[in-house]
Amino acid sequence: MTQKGPDALTGKIRIERTYNASIEDVWELWTTKEGIESWWGPGGFVVKVRKLDLRPGGEMLYAMIAVEPAQVQFMKNAGMPLTTETQLTYTEVVAKKLIAYTHLADFIPGVEPYNVATSVEFHAGKQSVQIVLTLDAMHDEEWTRRAVMGMESQLGKLTKILAGPDRE
Amino acid sequence: MHSTAFQTLADPTRFRIVEVLLGGEHAVNDIVRKVDIDQSGVSRHLRILQEAGFARVRPDGPKRLYSLRPEPFRELGAWAMRYRNLWEGRLDKFGEELGRRQKARVAMRKERIS
Repeated sequence: MTQKGPDALTGKIRIERTYNASIEDVWELWTTKEGIESWWGPGGFVVKVRKLDLRPGGEMLYAMIAVEPAQVQFMKNAGMPLTTETQLTYTEVVAKKLIAYTHLADFIPGVEPYNVATSVEFHAGKQSVQIVLTLDAMHDEEWTRRAVMGMESQLGKLTKILAGPDRE
Repeated sequence: MHSTAFQTLADPTRFRIVEVLLGGEHAVNDIVRKVDIDQSGVSRHLRILQEAGFARVRPDGPKRLYSLRPEPFRELGAWAMRYRNLWEGRLDKFGEELGRRQKARVAMRKERIS
């Protein structure tokens, strides 16, 4: 894992991982309903993909559902629903090379949805695949304006989830 | 979380001023020289940085010295850390799932042979 520049200053996060796997397997896990559902949810949550339209402008709609007792109890205590419907919109799709999307956070009533841009590059080697993931919260002015409006709510939710019993 | 944090830093000029201030306390004139923008522009950006809680000022004789306050950077760092943790966890699970699939495939192949 490497990182360019401090996250806090750039609003960007970069994560690199290399897996000993074929690009076909990796691509399938990122682009099929069954594949995505097998790993996307955080610990204690399952993900159900409701719609998957993998092309620029297409959307993925999914539900994140608390299932393990600790998470269920935690969400109840926090006054949050056990199921959160989320959507992302693909902006770029190049088979076995790149997936880029904007992630729409719109789960807090009264807060305008905001986006974080995520890009996932796939670099296939002989027996391994390197994944380079970039999150950008400071995409441009308009982006930032929208981000600002939802940032606090998103932060609040992430904080709550990550502070859950088995996440800290 | 300062709700304006990203907005404050998104401006390229302000970002450059912040980078200068990362090197320590500076008088306005020194900042003007380093970022190559006129004094009124620098002053305006410094005021915005101050209002957003990123910078503070103290008088030193006739000079006014500007420096950074750590709090908003800590908060932005916390934001980044939470997203990073989310993704590190997700990518761990991704790797486990890949491993599971490979094992299942090998097992299936063995079964077919035997």
